[in-house]
Amino acid sequence: MDNESTEKVGTVWKKKFFVALLAGFLALGGLISVFGFTGTAFALPLGGIGDFYVKFDKLEGKGFQLMPKIGETGNSDAEPMIRNKIEEVKIDNLHIYKDIKLPTDQWIRINIKALGPTKISGLIQDARLIDANLSFNELAIEEQNTSDFSKNWSQNAQTITITNAKLVTDYLFQSVVSLGNAKIYVEKIDSPDRTNIN
Amino acid sequence: MNKKEARALKKEEKILKKYRKISNAGRFTQWRNQRPFLGGILTLLAGFMILYIPLQLYSIAFVPGSFAFIGFLFGGLIVIMGVLNFIYPAFSTVFGVITIFLSVLSVMGALGGFLIGTILGIIGGSLSIGWEHKELTMMDSKRDDEVEVVQT
Repeated sequence: MDNESTEKVGTVWKKKFFVALLAGFLALGGLISVFGFTGTAFALPLGGIGDFYVKFDKLEGKGFQLMPKIGETGNSDAEPMIRNKIEEVKIDNLHIYKDIKLPTDQWIRINIKALGPTKISGLIQDARLIDANLSFNELAIEEQNTSDFSKNWSQNAQTITITNAKLVTDYLFQSVVSLGNAKIYVEKIDSPDRTNIN
Repeated sequence: MNKKEARALKKEEKILKKYRKISNAGRFTQWRNQRPFLGGILTLLAGFMILYIPLQLYSIAFVPGSFAFIGFLFGGLIVIMGVLNFIYPAFSTVFGVITIFLSVLSVMGALGGFLIGTILGIIGGSLSIGWEHKELTMMDSKRDDEVEVVQT
């Protein structure tokens, strides 16, 4: 009598493979086209890395609020800072950079540059130093008799325009940010940027 | 014989050819035949590529912890999918779909292993999805050519 036995052979079904491959690349293309071409990122925080520098030619903002804050920097747990909150921001020539010392004693600078206009919604920024030309519209400075230092005084304005700014920043949060024509690059530098505020 | 039948016959012949090759091969080839080997290897490579970026970012410390954490999570899960492909080959389609999904998403969390990890992940995942077991019913008294191909 004949003996029946079964053997298994593993193969790749080409049709299934190509359909999956196409679907995968389409999903990747979709994701890149949504985030890549518009340069939009959602809820982008930048902090806990110590001081970094923000420079720009012109900033136009709506719904400005400024308050004192004690925050953490790369070198200290509690440093006096200023917290800026702006609802809608448009920035020309934004340049963010951070100087890092490599283990080989060489300093490098990581640059993020937006050559086009940058649009940000829901900006929160903690700065140790603001060196800029400022102009406000409907500015109100309020003081409150309270033991809570963060509510002790506040500065609000309907619109704010800042030109030729250099900010020593320690924390940055953006609900939605769109960097026009962004360029990210690393360069070697001789010494780090030090802004003496004392 | 119409086109469809001819194509089916050609496919059958291909499987038989492969079977003959495998039946005379060593233990490793036999083991490899029973699982989506290439898909699993590519998935593992993709996982390691995607893990590599957050590890580098961590040492430079320019990117905050939560960002790097997403990279670790995605990379780690893809590596697990690659390993599971070898252990449970029957579920290779599910692992393949998850691998492709995680590879594409890792672009946001870990730059997708400089995009190389993502592409490797998509190819590896697709190979896992496309992989299947063909069962051959053999009659011992018959010649090898007369085996019946049964798709499982």
